[in-house]
Amino acid sequence: MTSQLHQAKRPVSAVLAGPYGHPFHPILVTVPIGAWVSSLVFDIASRVVDNPGFLNQGSVWLIAIGVVGALAAALVGFLDLFAIPGGTAAFRTGLVHMSLNLTVTAAYVANFFWRQGDYGEPVGVALGPLVLSAVSLAALGVSGFLGGKLAYHYGVRVADEATQTEGFRNPTT
Amino acid sequence: MDVAALIAWLVTAVGGFVLLGTWISKGGARAPRTSNFPPALIFGHFALAAAGLVVWIIYLVAETSGLAWTAFILLIPTALLGFVMLARWIPTYRSRTVTAGPGTTASPEPAEKHFPVPVVVGHGLFAVTTLVLVLIATLD
Repeated sequence: MTSQLHQAKRPVSAVLAGPYGHPFHPILVTVPIGAWVSSLVFDIASRVVDNPGFLNQGSVWLIAIGVVGALAAALVGFLDLFAIPGGTAAFRTGLVHMSLNLTVTAAYVANFFWRQGDYGEPVGVALGPLVLSAVSLAALGVSGFLGGKLAYHYGVRVADEATQTEGFRNPTT
Repeated sequence: MDVAALIAWLVTAVGGFVLLGTWISKGGARAPRTSNFPPALIFGHFALAAAGLVVWIIYLVAETSGLAWTAFILLIPTALLGFVMLARWIPTYRSRTVTAGPGTTASPEPAEKHFPVPVVVGHGLFAVTTLVLVLIATLD
């Protein structure tokens, strides 16, 4: 069981998934999270300001940036998922985390095409795409919670305790 | 044609993920190495194919011919690495009935021995289809 835990801490490829103790997936996910949160802010703001066209267009761009960022994060995420031994609670959590994220990304792809009709028009974001964005972001929050559980609860891709202890040695004692 | 290439590419990717997942879970990436695939080979193939797929998706929306060419050019080394793996996998595949018998030495099995043959064949066929479709769509 301990060896299975240590297996999940090691990258399957240090070049692609990040070296030991420095996984790339957590930093890559900041791109889609930031872009999609900003996109929803733009959506809401587009229904408040006087000239909403620029916010409407900006929101579509943010969705696209988020989708490309999510694909990059997913590729590295798959590698970390493969590092977790199958049949474990950590692996099942990883599968749910992956499925939710893929669903959210697909929803944003659909959302991107849904918005093409209004793109470039001087109007605010329609209620339908806005609600889809809000629901997608909520699902992303749940998925992010599971991602946090994988890292902080199960310690997937986190350095082992012997390594962590090095950061707390007191040179005076 | 653009979308047909995307679909072929996605199907190829699913097969590739099955093979990559099998290879890692059977210990292909773990030391001491028993696999005939150096990790740089399999992960290089994965990274190039994935980067190409992302470029192709951006091309579908942006419709810039430079993006289509970039995706096609990324596919060429991807295909070459794929053929290297195929060449290294075939001897493992052909020896699997031999080593399964009694009285053989207990050398550890390479991870790629566990590859389902239909997935390998399907991955290869869809990969060739993708390459052809991407080339036709790019030349269009």
